[in-house]
Amino acid sequence: MRFLTIALFALSAAALAVPSASACRAANEGFVHLASPEAEIAYRLQADQLKVGQFFAVEVVVCRTPGTDAVRAVLVDAQMPAHGHGMNYRPTMTEIEPGHFRVSGLMLHMPGKWRMTFDLLQGDRHIRLTQEMNLKP
Amino acid sequence: MRALGAFALFMLAAVGAAALAGRSTAVSLSAAEREAILSHGPWPLPFAPDPSNRASGDPAAIALGRSLFFDTRLSRDGDRSCASCHDPAKSFTDSRPRSIGIERVDRNAIALANVRLNRWYGWSGASDNLWAQSLRPILDPRELGATAELVRQRLAAGPGFAATYATVFGSEIASDAPEPALVNLSKALAAFQETISSGRTAFDDFRDAFARGDAAAMSRYPMQAQRGLRIFVGKGQCTFCHFGPNFTNGEFDDVGVRHFAAKGRVDRGRYGGIAALQDSRFNLLGPYNDDAQKGTAAKTSHVEQLHRNWGEFRVPSLRNVADTAPYMHDGSLQTLQDVVRHYSEVDVERLHGDDGQRLIRPLRLSASEAADLVEFLRTLSGEIAYSK
Repeated sequence: MRFLTIALFALSAAALAVPSASACRAANEGFVHLASPEAEIAYRLQADQLKVGQFFAVEVVVCRTPGTDAVRAVLVDAQMPAHGHGMNYRPTMTEIEPGHFRVSGLMLHMPGKWRMTFDLLQGDRHIRLTQEMNLKP
Repeated sequence: MRALGAFALFMLAAVGAAALAGRSTAVSLSAAEREAILSHGPWPLPFAPDPSNRASGDPAAIALGRSLFFDTRLSRDGDRSCASCHDPAKSFTDSRPRSIGIERVDRNAIALANVRLNRWYGWSGASDNLWAQSLRPILDPRELGATAELVRQRLAAGPGFAATYATVFGSEIASDAPEPALVNLSKALAAFQETISSGRTAFDDFRDAFARGDAAAMSRYPMQAQRGLRIFVGKGQCTFCHFGPNFTNGEFDDVGVRHFAAKGRVDRGRYGGIAALQDSRFNLLGPYNDDAQKGTAAKTSHVEQLHRNWGEFRVPSLRNVADTAPYMHDGSLQTLQDVVRHYSEVDVERLHGDDGQRLIRPLRLSASEAADLVEFLRTLSGEIAYSK
């Protein structure tokens, strides 16, 4: 089986990597920070190495959002923009504690450029953060 | 350590490419192409028992499964067996466009080599495990057309069978209920089929030589196949779906093959497969999974039926593909040349995807490119071994 690495090579125009927020999980715990002017999260992929065709989970901690309402859900999805398709599986989310979620059942079934989306649902507000990654064969 | 490993791999690939260049060949490879070539090995992959099947890897179960595979008592009329459509002499297929059981079915018999590596089974993935897939044709009225009770009665009456069954499963077939008994028999069939595997190929020798930078060994791989390989991992984009050492990503795609099984009757493909899977009591979420943790059932829990699944069929492995004609889910393409021509001229109007699927597009291969690609595919054949 081929090992694969994720190259986090670019964020979308709406998102920007920022230094770790003190209120958020630390990079030395394996968390990656992802932010936009509107919100910030820290996420950690739960697999030693991402591989094509291997199920994985992602842990998401909400660091910053507008307003005071709690984020009630984080939806994680992935698409291959160049191919025009997404995943073949529907992830499921569980809330570990307020603002801390685990999403499982993700699987990237082709090598290439994927766009992961993190949709934060907060009251009536829907905030999307995106992360591009290159899944190597 | 990971970084060092990646660097070493890169260097090996670079040496391999340099060796290719040193032979003054027409084949030059990009970094992405080198990476893709290396991803198709090593081969073979190690055996890992199926946790959903307590008979997996058990020599006694394999022997029982082997005898059942050729046993016509599994068919209603006592005249057909698994091997009728999965003939070892025909690379575990039947060479027919569509198989003939009690009736002619809608689909081509999928070759069984390396079947243990599948994520899903059947052209539509209606089964999530090999023992459930083995059980399905026994009960299908168009295929073997038997019932669990009929099979149990016949086998229980056979000389010596009850003792063998008891040795493998620890119960008496005569007292087991028909359905659990049939599941046990299917688990033995699965244990046997897990032994069916493709041997190493000319491509594997080339790929490994490429990885270690062995120009002399690489030179034994025909130049035409090298050119075809470059098309496969490059212009052809074949490797997106025919990925990894087994040349399949284990998923499903719509590649523009007709989806009418007969006049006025559509084969729903993966769309119907997911529905059948979720309705089946033999899936990995059901009571017959021997793994209490259901550790391999994540795919079944998370699979989602989407509109785009209409007309999708499983991406088959390409190992031994030259030996398993005819091709596609309905056997509608007779030769490898036909398959390559299909992808070269694919009619995108036939694609059913509604989400902007852009992977399948006409390759517009020249005649020589098409011949190169076919030659590469021919180098993916190795000797098929199985427990005898």
